[in-house]
Amino acid sequence: MSDVWRIGRGEPGYPRALLDLEQDVPAALFGCGSRRLVSELDPEQTVTIVGSRHPSGYGLEVAEELGYLLGAAGLVVVSGMALGIDSAVHRGVLAGNGSTIAVLGGGPDVVYPRSEHRLYERIVAKGAVISEMPSGTRPGPGAFPLRNRIMAALAKMTVVVEAAQPSGSLITAERARELGRDVGAVPGRVTSRVAKGTNALLKDGVAMVRDAQDVLDLLLGVGVTSTRRSGPRLEPELARVADAVDGGAATPDAVALAAGVDASEAAVALARLELMGYLRVDGAGRYERTSLTPPDEEPSTTLGPCEPTNGSRSA
Amino acid sequence: MVRIFAAVLATARTFSLLGIEVREVHVEVDVCSYGLQTFSLVGLPDAAVRESRERVRAAIANSGFDYPKHRVTANLAPADLPKAGPSFDLAIAAGLLAASKQLRPEQLDGVMLAGELALDGSIRRVPGAFAMAEQARELRVRAIVVPVPNGPEAALVQGLRVVPLERLEQLKRLGTDEEPAAPQPIQLSLNGAAPPGPDLSDLRGQPYLRDALEIAAAGGHSLLIIGPPGAGKSLAARRLPSILPPLTRSDAMEVLRVASACGLLGRGQLAVRRPFRAPHHTISTAGLVGGSSPPRPGEVTLAHRGVLFLDELGEFTREALEALRQPLEEGRVAITRARGAVELPCRFMLVAASNPCPCGRGEESGECECQPTSARRYRAKLSGALADRIDISVAVDRPSATEMGGRHGVDSATVRKRVVAARERQERRLGPGRCNADMDLVELRGAGQLSREARRTLARGHAQLGLSGRGYDRVLRVSRTIADLAGAERIEVEHVARAISLRRRGQE
Repeated sequence: MSDVWRIGRGEPGYPRALLDLEQDVPAALFGCGSRRLVSELDPEQTVTIVGSRHPSGYGLEVAEELGYLLGAAGLVVVSGMALGIDSAVHRGVLAGNGSTIAVLGGGPDVVYPRSEHRLYERIVAKGAVISEMPSGTRPGPGAFPLRNRIMAALAKMTVVVEAAQPSGSLITAERARELGRDVGAVPGRVTSRVAKGTNALLKDGVAMVRDAQDVLDLLLGVGVTSTRRSGPRLEPELARVADAVDGGAATPDAVALAAGVDASEAAVALARLELMGYLRVDGAGRYERTSLTPPDEEPSTTLGPCEPTNGSRSA
Repeated sequence: MVRIFAAVLATARTFSLLGIEVREVHVEVDVCSYGLQTFSLVGLPDAAVRESRERVRAAIANSGFDYPKHRVTANLAPADLPKAGPSFDLAIAAGLLAASKQLRPEQLDGVMLAGELALDGSIRRVPGAFAMAEQARELRVRAIVVPVPNGPEAALVQGLRVVPLERLEQLKRLGTDEEPAAPQPIQLSLNGAAPPGPDLSDLRGQPYLRDALEIAAAGGHSLLIIGPPGAGKSLAARRLPSILPPLTRSDAMEVLRVASACGLLGRGQLAVRRPFRAPHHTISTAGLVGGSSPPRPGEVTLAHRGVLFLDELGEFTREALEALRQPLEEGRVAITRARGAVELPCRFMLVAASNPCPCGRGEESGECECQPTSARRYRAKLSGALADRIDISVAVDRPSATEMGGRHGVDSATVRKRVVAARERQERRLGPGRCNADMDLVELRGAGQLSREARRTLARGHAQLGLSGRGYDRVLRVSRTIADLAGAERIEVEHVARAISLRRRGQE
């Protein structure tokens, strides 16, 4: 269990985005996990994704996909760790080795909902959990609407995946609009209860979000595909193996064949690339590339890493 | 008028099969020279044993003997031991013939009998004859009488006279010079000669899958193969027994005991090899691990010292898979029933296979018809099932056309030599008959040094790939096997890296 840290208002490292809340600025932030991720947070490269606690399979799918792709594209993804959409978003980000922040209604060390304690631990390990409540505070009634304003303030854009009417997600969207932030919504079936809120937002004229690219277009400008991060330099053999995976070889056998190495060399190379963060594996044991690129093939649109662990920012 | 009530008593010895174990049973037959013509059978017989009366009556009448016209009582002792199956027929008939003076009682002295009777007097094969012969030798009897088809298995037991009988009337020859000659025993192929069966050279291309099979065989690790239909999953699994080390004599006897008790020794099969069992995924829990009353061995026991192959792992019921845990861990199953408990051996290697998604084509193929949510649920079930019992997992694709047309791979005999060498290293470290898969945590920690770089890689795997504590131990265990295959004392970084690439994915 990591220790709880505190950043008071006006202290160095207090996220400047929260100052936009004016009379409602939290007096202090309490957090677990990466303090640096929070204090170096750039709202221009942050997106908040929220949604229903009782989503459809479609909503979960979209939420996880958005989290995965936006996290992998280098954005910091903020959500509320609630059941349903929120936790799917966090899971997606973690699966793509992205950075994610969960904003809780209670103290940062009080896991709520309890059933998400594994997710909580992974977020603390790879990202951050924050709250304006001191450690040990149990989330009471009214805590969640308050926490929603923090989520809205942290990011330049808030995306609602699925929301009933009325709902906490709509409150978050409303707060974001009041703060002059962008709001987006994912369209749903008009007959679906959990799409009522998002479709209503769309009717009001918020941005339509069909996929991660829609969000990236709005946040970073049309055409920018990622704020790519670059990894360590690759030896020629590893580069060949990484290219083979890029070329669609997903199993070690296919990689060995495509890269022209023998099976045990391929296995060693795949494991090393996975440890470096260039590859990830799905539940069926198939390999694919992450968004991490080797240093020399870094594209010009690079916006620099927001990763808490190596922290070096190259603008 | 004075009538002399004479009761004549005779005893024949036979066996009761419980699971794969055998207990001695005495058949006492009493023929009363008064009373109505009845035949009562006592001593906890089941339905098949009770029907024995009809078979015995007809067989005796059709074999040129006389069926007594008086009251017959047969008692199976000990009376509290449940008896099942038709193998008591021959002993009951022999006892009856002795009691009715058609056989000399001394002909049955020191003889144990087992066999099922046909109505025409011929003798049919029975399950468990090998275990019965072993029991007979332990009881130091003169001879065991078995049906002809059971002769070869019974003859394996040394120091025991085996008398194969084809028909009931041959009982007359028992203890005379005309007693039928002992049959030829089953041949045990133990000395490393490649057992007949599918060979690894049939597997073309797919070097990584081959490596995974070899590593699994070398360390006794259970293995999960994930890939679309046609990727060679079951082809590969079926070839695993051929690269496992040869059976030792005592292991072969265990295999034989199980096969014999389950009636699996076909007439044609004369060699003992490692079993390969592939139950269908609709199998019940009792069918898989054993059960029912009287207790019957399940597939895990039939796979003893061999390979249990679960194709379509995700389709097995959760209950059945859960029930596999204890057998996998302990190498034996205990079945407890109201009338006693039996313990069955089940040291097997588990190989499981699965499609990547319910439709089998795989999401990546572009032809997948599955709903993403159902595919995800399927994978979740897959990664949850027996997650902590499977050491190695490998993803495979259909072999490419060039691979299919390519040369045959290395044959089983060559791979088996490497496996045997690796097992020898393990036995030197752990003791006879042990392998890396059954190391406990203390042995695992003491299983040889890791190079500094290997240790660092393992630690990074722990931190970055989210390996759980158990996942970490499994990677270490498999690393040890890979090092053993390479003949290395110390675990090097490439051993760890290969083990990491073979680890089980998606355990959250």
